[in-house]
This record gives sequence, structure tokens and C-alpha cells, in this order.
Amino acid sequence: MAGKPKKFKIEPFKHPLKLDPNYADNTWLLLESAIHEINNHNASGLSFEELYRNAYNMVVNKYGERLYRGLVDTETAHLRKVAARIEAAQGEGFLRAIKAEWESHNKSVQMIRDILMYMDRIYVKQQNKTTVHQLGLDLWRDVVVRNRRIRDRLLGMLLDMVGRERAGDVVDKGLVRAMTQMLVDLGHQVYCEDFETPFLERTAEFYAAEAAEFVSSCDCPTYLAHAERRLGEEVERVGAYLDPSTEAKVVKVVERELISRQMRGLVDMENSGLVPQLVQDKYGDLSRMYCLFRRVEGGVDLLRQTMGDHLKEGGKALVLDPERQKDPVEWVQRLLQEKEKYDALISRAFSHDKLFVAALNSAFEHFLNLNPRSPEYISLFMDDKLRKGLKGMSEDDIEVVLDKGIMLFRFLQARAGLPFPALGLAWWSCPAWPALEKDVFEKYYKQHLAKRLLHGRSTSEDSEQLLLTKLKTECGYQFTSKLETMFSDIKLSREKMADFKGYLEGQGRRLDVEMTMQVLTSGMWPQTSSAPTCVLPRELEQCTSEFVAYYLHANSGRRLTWQTGLGTADIKAMFGGGARKYEISCSTYQMAVLMLFNDAESLVYEEIEAATSIPEDDLKRVLQSLACVKGKAVLRKEPMSKDVRPGDRFSVNDAFTSKSYKVKIGMVTAQVGGEGRAAGGSTGQGCGDCGDGDREFLERDATDRSTYVYLA
Amino acid sequence: MSAAEKKVVKLISAEGFEFVVDYDAACVSNTIKNMLNSQGSFIENEQGEIRFPEITTPVMEVVCKYFYYKLRYANTASKSIPEFKVAPEMALELLMAANYLDT
Repeated sequence: MAGKPKKFKIEPFKHPLKLDPNYADNTWLLLESAIHEINNHNASGLSFEELYRNAYNMVVNKYGERLYRGLVDTETAHLRKVAARIEAAQGEGFLRAIKAEWESHNKSVQMIRDILMYMDRIYVKQQNKTTVHQLGLDLWRDVVVRNRRIRDRLLGMLLDMVGRERAGDVVDKGLVRAMTQMLVDLGHQVYCEDFETPFLERTAEFYAAEAAEFVSSCDCPTYLAHAERRLGEEVERVGAYLDPSTEAKVVKVVERELISRQMRGLVDMENSGLVPQLVQDKYGDLSRMYCLFRRVEGGVDLLRQTMGDHLKEGGKALVLDPERQKDPVEWVQRLLQEKEKYDALISRAFSHDKLFVAALNSAFEHFLNLNPRSPEYISLFMDDKLRKGLKGMSEDDIEVVLDKGIMLFRFLQARAGLPFPALGLAWWSCPAWPALEKDVFEKYYKQHLAKRLLHGRSTSEDSEQLLLTKLKTECGYQFTSKLETMFSDIKLSREKMADFKGYLEGQGRRLDVEMTMQVLTSGMWPQTSSAPTCVLPRELEQCTSEFVAYYLHANSGRRLTWQTGLGTADIKAMFGGGARKYEISCSTYQMAVLMLFNDAESLVYEEIEAATSIPEDDLKRVLQSLACVKGKAVLRKEPMSKDVRPGDRFSVNDAFTSKSYKVKIGMVTAQVGGEGRAAGGSTGQGCGDCGDGDREFLERDATDRSTYVYLA
Repeated sequence: MSAAEKKVVKLISAEGFEFVVDYDAACVSNTIKNMLNSQGSFIENEQGEIRFPEITTPVMEVVCKYFYYKLRYANTASKSIPEFKVAPEMALELLMAANYLDT
């Protein structure tokens, strides 16, 4: 009893009765016939107690082996008959027969196990035999399932049913499920050997053939939609009637056949591969492609590589396109569009995969640095935005635009393009390092910033500061320190100018012309040069000398140098005897030349040169811009030709007319590339000449620059 | 009607004495439990009675007592479980019955 020590060993009970010598045979016969009855579903009427007692007694009386052996033989013989019955079945009846016999076998074995429980408990355990239950499974496996005439037929029919279902037929899933479940019950190894392995082989063959067929008859998205559906079907199939452990394996096979082995061809597919899909923003198709390719080794790499190559190729063409380079702002805009397009693609179709983001960035970095003028264009883009593009935009919008510029800037190479000198060349014997792209950007940015600051063209000081802060974040203090000095120069000059005017007012005086002077720190501004100062019209001399005296009084020890090449002036001019009045915006040089005509009817080149002492190159360009630009020449030149030569004679073009009151005279620039911009920059359309009678040029706002040098 | 539905089982000793015990109590013996639960329609399950031709009435009586004793105390954590006393002269027969009944 349970309460007693379990290991208690009972001495073999000396039965008072002498055992009948035929005891074992008789008892076994009784049990054997009962087992037959059970196998034939005829158990009713059998006494469990009697059968149990007999089996118990056989074991107790050391006939355990006889009992066990007998059971094996009886069951084997029984199952041979069962196998024969199964073999005889035709068509799907074959599987149904297996199913029915299997169910009945299980039931019988359970009952046999119950009546032989004592044997299971004592004999089987002591002798290390297979339990009755397991014996039932093993015998079924060896005698029925692995029967030569059943095994292949069973497998063939199962594979056939799967094949038919793949082709769209409806099959008896319950039946297949029963078969696979039976194989699993017989042991996982049986399921693998007798079904799963051949099933996977057949699956591979099927999909290899299907892939070959589809890849030659469908476009890429159709193919992938099909592959996606097939993968789903296989998973569903496993759920419906295969063992769950098959799912990963079959999915792997399908992925290999439908995706891995075809992916190169799919990506390169003409008109529908990866590149056409990218070009056409096919988010859905791309997303599917990404999801499927991500499942196989190398799939994402292939997509990324192909996208990167496409980007580099397209970007290179874009960046080096001579047509596009004619309009740098548009050129940058186009690049930004491309970047936005791919940002959207990556986040919508490639689930914002970091690898793709990296590929996108490296592609931009690659092609942006192919064009040595990229830094200039990016700076021009920012210049354009800061000059006019940001009007009416909210602060957030402004920041977005600036951030985009910064983003492109970031792609510029920060380091020298060349690797360290190779092959034993000492570093000092190398030619000068190529200019670093970011330094080139700095150079242009400085020029553009200077123009904006000096000409008061910047629309928003806040935006300028914002961008400066961003550049500082990107490149550090060193990069922006000069730029910051430029800003502070302008600010100080404004204060200084106000002080100066206040000082004059305090003395009850005022300037003859409204004039603004800006004091720039030498070396910090790109345009400052040692170019000789031009002679300013006498109307301005009073102003400048007053200012210089005032400034030096306040800042003794500094030296001021005029940078007349940088100023601008607005002058009022009358043409046709005072009939037409215009306000002309021009450079200081142009103003200096025009003012000469207040005192003279006509002047030859040499006279102008002597009166203004503008350097030769600049003067020629000034005169060209005043006299040779068709449709808005305020001066007339003799002889009429495109070029300005010594000996040419200039006079006021009295016939000058303009539709608008304000006339802007552009500068003919020496650079070929800048020509278009200079022309586009001038607005006022009009020709004219100064009225002879009343030739009064009124200086309204002359902005001149000076440089101070601090002398220690 | 099966024994489980009737809730009681008749256990009959070698001499023909009938012990009517609760189904749950009888199932303390794994052997009896199997007899009453086996898939097949053995007569024991159909009639709700089991004959034990090798178990005498006195032994069967102790066995039935033990069924209830086990049922009562099997899941008690208490240390005050009374001892189940067995007469020494009956010990061997009881052990054999226990082995047979898998109790």
C-alpha cells in the first residue's frame, strides 16, 4: 500500500497449489483469444478483472517473457492482416482505410495496455522492454506504414494531394491531416523521413519550375505579388494539415526558389525591376519587394546596392548636366527634390531601413563631390533663399529650407579627396592638396554673405543668424568666426553711423547727401583688396572727410582705407530736358562716372579715367554697363561698338526711357559663368540720356566701404 | 449505465460478499480505475461490479477501509494523521492485494 515503504521486496509467494505444467500455455491462450476479440472490436462480455488477473499471475509466476513475446507475435500477425486490407483499398479509399485502421488500432492497443498493465508496470520496467503503448506504435510503423507496398503509395498520394491543392483543387484536408498526425505520433523522425524530406524536395522542384515560368512571363511586381501569395499559402497549408515544425523549413525552400535564386533577375527586370519602380514611386510594389527580399540572405544588400548605383549614376548626370548648371538655384532645388523623393521612398517602402538611408547619403556624398562647383552652387542656393526666397515664410518653414541646404553641405567632403601620398613620396614633395570642398563652400559663402550684408539684400537677419548657428554646429567655431566678425562689423557700423549723424545734428549740421558708411575689419571680408580708391565726386567728399575725421577721433590709431569698388548708389537723373525723371540704382563706380556728366557734355575714355582713377578693367566694364547694354544705355558711345576702347567718346543718352521710375543698372561681370546672372539681376528696362539743361544728379544714398587697420 | 455515472461500485470478494463503495474511493486502486475507465466495453464497466476471486472477504474489508482512509487523508498536510492499523497475520495477504490492485 502507498503508505508502506515502496522498495519493499516481496519474496516470491509460495503458492499452495502446484502449478499445472500447462498453466502458462492455457493462460496465454485465454489472453490471446481476448486480444483477438479486442482487435476485432468484440470486447463486450470480456471480464477485465479476469484478463488482468491472468496477466498478473503470468508475470508473478515468471512467465512475463512468454506473455510479452506472445503479445508481439499476436499483434504482428494482426497488423499484417490489417496491412493487407489497406493495400486492397483503391484511390482515396486507401488513405481512408489507413485512417480507419489506425484509429481502431490505437483503441485496441489502449485496451490491451489496460489489461496488461501489470506487465507494463513490473516486467517491462524490470527487463527494460518497450511499453505496450510504444510497442503498438512501433509495430504499426514497421508492419503497416513502412510496408513496401504501403509506404511509397502513401507518400505519393500525400504529395499528390498537396500538388493538387497548389494547383487550385480542393482536397480533403482532414484526411491529409490525419495521415501527417499519424506519422508524427509514430515519432518525429518517422514524420521527417517518410514525409517531410520528400515533401520539401518536391516543393523545391515545384517552385523552381514555377519561378522559371513566371519570371519569363510576368513583370517584377506581378511575380513578387505571386511569390508573396505562395508564401502565405504554404504557411496556411502547414497550419491546415502539416506539423508546425515544417513551417520554417518549407518557407525557407519557397524563399530560396522564388526569391533568392531569382532576385538578381527580378531587380534587373527591364521596365519593371527595382530602378523603374523607384523612378515611378511605386511604394506598394517596392514595399513588397523589400519585405520579401529582406527574408533572404543578401536580398537587402542587393536592393541597397542597386538603389545606390542608380542614385550615383542619376546624380552624376544631374550634377554634371551643363544645362542645369546654368541655374545653380534650380540645380540645388533639383537635388533636394531627389533627396526628398528618396527619403519618402525609404520611409514608406523600406520601413525606414537605416542601411538604405546610409546608401542614399553615401550616393549623395559621392556625386555631389564629383562637381567641383557644388560648394558654390549650394552657397548660391542659400544666398538666393536669404535674399528673396524666405519672404512670407514662417520661421519653421525658413528653418526647413535652411536645414536642407545644410544637409547638402554636410555631404561635401570635409577631408582631402586624395589619400595620403603613397609610394614613398614625402608629404612636402606633394603638389598642393586639393581644396577641401567644405573650405571651398566657406569661401563662396563668405562672398555671398558679404554681398548680402553690404548691399542690405538680406531679407531677415534672424535667418542669417540661424544659418550661421547651424554652420557653427556643423563645422565648429573656427569655420564661422570670420563670418561672425562680418556680422558684428555691420552691426557696429550701423551704430557708428547713427552716432555720427547724431553728432552732426548736435552741431546743427547735416550731410549734403544721405550716406551710409560701413567699417569692415580687414582680412575678414573676402572682397577687400588693395585696389586703388577711385576719386569720389566732390559732392561726396564733404561727407567722407567728415566721417573719417569723426571716426578717427573716436578710434585713434586706426587706419581707414576706402573700398569704393564695393559701394552702391541711388541717383536721381533727368532726361529729355527734365521731361523724364528716374532713380538709378548703380554701383559707386558707375555713380562716379555718371556724376562727371553733370559738368561735361561729353568725355573721352582717357578723361574719364583721369577724373575717376578707376582701375582699367573695372572702368571698361563700368562703361560697358552704362553704354553698351542694349535697351538701357544711359550713355551714348562714339563709335557704337560692343567693346570699350581708349579714345571712345561718351555722352548722355538723352533718349533714355524706362517704364518704371526706378532703374537698376547691372554690372557686366568678367566671369563667363556669371554673365547670365548679371543680366538677370538688373530689373529696370529703359534707355535714357541726361537732360542737357538740368543735369543734376542727386546723391541719395551712397554706401561706401572702408577698411580699418588697427595699428599697434 | 457506467460505474462513474452511478457513483458507486460493487466490489465482490472471493466468498461472494458485496462491498458497495463510492466510485471515487474505488479509484484509489489504479487497477480498479483502469477497469472502470478502459475504452472497451468490459463487463465490469457495463455492470458496475467487479469480482475478485482471489481476494478474501476480510482482506477486501480492510482494502475498502483503506480506500476511504486514503481518500480522507491523501491531500492533508496535517501531521495528525491517524495510523492505519493492520493485523500482523493479515499483513502478507494485504500486501499481495495491494500489489494486485496497484494501490
